[in-house]
Amino acid sequence: MFPLDAPPDTSAYMIAGYGVFFIIAAIYLVSLFVRWRNIDRDMTALESIEKESKSIPPKKASPARRKGAGRKNAARKR
Amino acid sequence: MQPKPLALKILDIGSLLVLAVATYLALVYAPEEAVMGQVQRVFYFHIGTAWTGLLGFLFAAGLGIVYLVKKDLKWDIAEVAAVEISAVFFFITIILGSIWARPIWNTWWTWDPRLTTAAITELIYVAYFMLRQGIEDPDRRARFGAVYTLIGGVSAPITFLAIRLFRTIHPVVIGSGDPNAQGTFAMTPHMLVAFFFGLFAFTIIFIDLFWNRIRMGQLAAKVEQLKLNLMH
Amino acid sequence: MATTIHPQPPQPSFLKATFAVTGKDLSAEFRSRELFSAMLVFSLLVILIFNFALELDIATRQSVTAGVLWVTFAFAGTLGLNRSMAVEKDRGCLDGLLLAPVDRAAIYFGKVISNLVFMLIVEAIVLPVYSFLYNVNLFNAGLLLVILLGSIGYLAVGTLLASMAVQARTRDVLLPILLFPVAVPVLIAAVKASEGFLAGSDFSSIYSPLSLLIGYDVIFIAVAYMVFDYVVEE
Repeated sequence: MFPLDAPPDTSAYMIAGYGVFFIIAAIYLVSLFVRWRNIDRDMTALESIEKESKSIPPKKASPARRKGAGRKNAARKR
Repeated sequence: MQPKPLALKILDIGSLLVLAVATYLALVYAPEEAVMGQVQRVFYFHIGTAWTGLLGFLFAAGLGIVYLVKKDLKWDIAEVAAVEISAVFFFITIILGSIWARPIWNTWWTWDPRLTTAAITELIYVAYFMLRQGIEDPDRRARFGAVYTLIGGVSAPITFLAIRLFRTIHPVVIGSGDPNAQGTFAMTPHMLVAFFFGLFAFTIIFIDLFWNRIRMGQLAAKVEQLKLNLMH
Repeated sequence: MATTIHPQPPQPSFLKATFAVTGKDLSAEFRSRELFSAMLVFSLLVILIFNFALELDIATRQSVTAGVLWVTFAFAGTLGLNRSMAVEKDRGCLDGLLLAPVDRAAIYFGKVISNLVFMLIVEAIVLPVYSFLYNVNLFNAGLLLVILLGSIGYLAVGTLLASMAVQARTRDVLLPILLFPVAVPVLIAAVKASEGFLAGSDFSSIYSPLSLLIGYDVIFIAVAYMVFDYVVEE
């Protein structure tokens, strides 16, 4: 009723407060997302490297294939 | 990595919903406070983040103790998740409190026991991450992290006691009167609803973020293990 | 199995092991004196800088003496802690100590005591120099007690954190960052109690900071005793 009774106008601070809250929350969520994506990328890269390194030893040893080839050769010779 | 479990997806959506409801309750439903005006609405989120942040730090200290006893890295992953989310929440608490204090106490900051303890606690957990960053070996990193959260958890309450003792003998008067006493108010039932729902909402959000962060930590641990395997 | 062939030598008693670690540190330091001289010169420089930074005239001197002294001690203490642990780590002494058949807590207490001796010697030189330079009488039994209690609390946490910090990549910058936030209560209580004794206030106003100081010492020595094993474990 009287201007003295009215609460002070502090809505600018309220808006600032909630604005800052949502900005910080958004920054944190984005940082979570970015970190997650980077880890995921590392994971797929590492998995492909591991697959390659696993596929090399059978090539080196590959006793089954050589054996098979040897048998084929033997068969041909016969 | 296995796909996101359904429960977590539901929790994600649920935490967005409770955040929306909490925002509505704080900004629209709760009445305007008569003395402080609109800025008092910041209080609902301030208390919500403060409580969950503080409980999160205590929870992290507990997880640290469990790690030291069990020596299983999954407890360490949970501990890091708890500290990280609590640190973010606590940072929000400090910023919101400071924005509230500007019109009410007429200053952004005062060296009041609560504010000072909050700032020091936040610094302890920043130091925690710096400590972890400097250590390569996962087991050692986990042990040191657990020890430091434990020390931080013991030291923060003592800091609060110490500063209170200091300030009651040397009161700092800013504006007029004791800053601790300024800005207290009685809550109406509608305000209480917004207040308790805020606490509930931030607890849900904490759990949701905690779960997501643990999953990320597990994936990161796997990547680290793969890297170590490839190097040797 | 191995123990049946080579029976383990009897473990030395806890106190004996503690003092052996302390004695080793003190005799090494007595020969080189590098740690001690660095701490001492550093503290004198800090006091000198405070003189210019704070314009220590007679009026301000009364109110800031306790603060200046404790900041000086804290900085010098960090320097000493960092150095004493880094030396162990670099020369591989820490591994040797850990292999010794003693309770690891004895190593912790030995290091705390040797660090305490260095810090007390530095303080014993800084105090008269400060009273000489600023014409303040610091010879007060209460103040000396507070300095002892404060140094114990600071070093109890500091030794534990320093043994973590030296194992990290960023060790030289890490110790103060880890130590200062958790040492805040001991510094506050020490400054408060020192101020009280210097101003000659009655004991009722000094009682609470003093009891806080003792509480901090007891709690952190106990915590450090419990967790030190995890810090040095390989």
